[in-house]
Amino acid sequence: MQALVQLSIANIRSFVRDRAALFWTLLFPLIFVVLFGLIFQGSNPSIKLAWVDLDGSSGPTGSGTLRAAFASVKGVVLTDGDLAASTELMKTGKVDAILEVPKGYGVAVAAALTPGAPPAAPTRLTVFTDPTQAATGGIVQQVVGGVLGAVNLGGRAPIVEAQPATIQTQNLSIISYLVPSILGMALMQLGVFAAIPLVADREKKILKRLNATPLHRWQLVGSNIVIRLIIGIIQTIIIVGVGTVLFGMQMIGSLFVLAGLVVLGALAFVSLGYVIASFAPTEEAANGMTSAVQFPLMFLSGTFFVIDQMPQPLQVVARFLPLTYLSDALRQVMVGGTAFSPLWFCFAVLVGWTVVCFGISARFFKWQ
Amino acid sequence: MTMLDSNRLSAAHPAPGGVAVRVSAVHKSYGSVQAVAGVSFEVGRGEVFGLLGPNGAGKTTTVEMLEGLRSPDSGVLEVLGIDVARNPDALKQRVGVTLQTAELYPKLTVVEVLNLFRSFYRRSLPTEQLIEFLDLGERRNAQTRQLSGGQRQRLAVALALVNDPEVIFLDEPTTGLDPAARRSLWDLVQKLQGQGKTILLTTHYMEEAEVLCDRLAIMDHGRILALGTVKELVEDRFKDRSVRFDRIAALGEDQLRGLAGVESVKHDDGETVLYTQDVSGTIGGLFAATEALGVEPGNLGIRRPSLEDLFLDLTGRALRD
Repeated sequence: MQALVQLSIANIRSFVRDRAALFWTLLFPLIFVVLFGLIFQGSNPSIKLAWVDLDGSSGPTGSGTLRAAFASVKGVVLTDGDLAASTELMKTGKVDAILEVPKGYGVAVAAALTPGAPPAAPTRLTVFTDPTQAATGGIVQQVVGGVLGAVNLGGRAPIVEAQPATIQTQNLSIISYLVPSILGMALMQLGVFAAIPLVADREKKILKRLNATPLHRWQLVGSNIVIRLIIGIIQTIIIVGVGTVLFGMQMIGSLFVLAGLVVLGALAFVSLGYVIASFAPTEEAANGMTSAVQFPLMFLSGTFFVIDQMPQPLQVVARFLPLTYLSDALRQVMVGGTAFSPLWFCFAVLVGWTVVCFGISARFFKWQ
Repeated sequence: MTMLDSNRLSAAHPAPGGVAVRVSAVHKSYGSVQAVAGVSFEVGRGEVFGLLGPNGAGKTTTVEMLEGLRSPDSGVLEVLGIDVARNPDALKQRVGVTLQTAELYPKLTVVEVLNLFRSFYRRSLPTEQLIEFLDLGERRNAQTRQLSGGQRQRLAVALALVNDPEVIFLDEPTTGLDPAARRSLWDLVQKLQGQGKTILLTTHYMEEAEVLCDRLAIMDHGRILALGTVKELVEDRFKDRSVRFDRIAALGEDQLRGLAGVESVKHDDGETVLYTQDVSGTIGGLFAATEALGVEPGNLGIRRPSLEDLFLDLTGRALRD
């Protein structure tokens, strides 16, 4: 136990004295948060939506009521117009998205809400977003989901086509989408970067020297994991702290579940780091392999681009990436984001991933 | 050159204090390369024992098997009565090790690395005592990457001593060090011997083997070619002196062998070495032969045989730094 503690302290000291490691694990994600926070602060909290009403109905079930529901969402600004004019506005960046209410909306909703009415196909509210403005698109989806969720509560079956309406629609900001994504990215980097010092220690024969002492291998691996978890928790505190204090992100989820998710996420990617360390012969190779792994993960897992808006083949790829599930779960837990997969499924994927990766490393890792 | 007290130990067997290290009929191959091909020797308690040989002779493989870092293909290795293969954990508590490359936690300080290693052992010496013994006081708070080669090697030895081991393995302890640092490490080894430690070291420096080792084994191609004290190996084996001179192409091998007193002839890197029991007869004959050719033997010299001669005699080549 003494050895485990001392080894962890030694590793933390080495880590803290390594400026590059400090930068990439603590400062780099923070720079992302601050940068995105500042970029979107100007447009925050307003989400500009064009309102194209082809129905023009009034009354409790009319399109006018729906418009009022959107208008009441804090930060949402509506501009009325026809589709052509609105498209022009969107192209020039004056609105973020267009909502088109179909003709016959009011009648259809009223019919669906009539007691004893037979189930009918839901009415479609068309949402035009710009796939290149992914973060904004994510927010729009959440706003729409939230408002429609409230409408749909009146009926037994969905009346208006919607995404699962479990989101918080107040105070939505781009930062609420980005902070969990960046936290996921930071945990991913923390984990895969675990490969580099491990391979370096092997190359410098430090692992071999330790092997000549009574130290057990589980103590070595254990201390390695312990320090990564500690750093992961520090990262979480910094990123969530800055997102909340500086940019007004609202943490709605349980800190307890978040802590569990952070630990599981860090473990999943440390295990991936160990797989890299198992196959990288030199520190240079480990560096290259780490980059080769982290960049696709960073860009294809919904960190900066909403997965639903990516081209279909890339969406398939995203389904196989563990960071997709970590970021998705973090968004659900932290800000109540729209679920890409159910939370239990995200946990299961991460647990399975961790077990498989540790299994591969146990089989292939060479100590000297 | 310091010569050993020839009465200290007998030849092929260790001192009466008991056996600290026993290696018997050990083989180890890497793929098709036989690194260690049937090596056996014993090291007595309190003895400094050297494995001398060129790179690739199998010295490091032998020592790493004794340290529990590699397993032999066959044969038995025992340290302090512990079977290394069966009980590596018990072994590691009681031995100290330096590896050939001594890079350790570049960003930790001397004190931090020592304290870290102390935590691995049930029993350990105080850090201060280790720092003082290895004369690292001035560099105690320096990160290990800032240490000189000699200081780094002293730290490596300090780490080998944290558990106050009974047996210490030093693999090429002075390779790459400047002469002053080498000398200070030799003093250290002698101090440890004075404390009654058993030391097994590998080296490819003749002088180091002569200065430090009570007994040594000469290794090449995974085998032990000769084993004993320096005196036994050299002086008792060679009654001959060597007569050396720059090689003269016109002097034929048969002609050299025919000179008075010559027992054997070797050529080494442009130099001809004649082993003889009759130095004056050999030199007389040599001058007569060269005069007839109209040349003079260049850099002529007479030497008592050394380990170097022994190595040349055993392997047919010189052992270079």
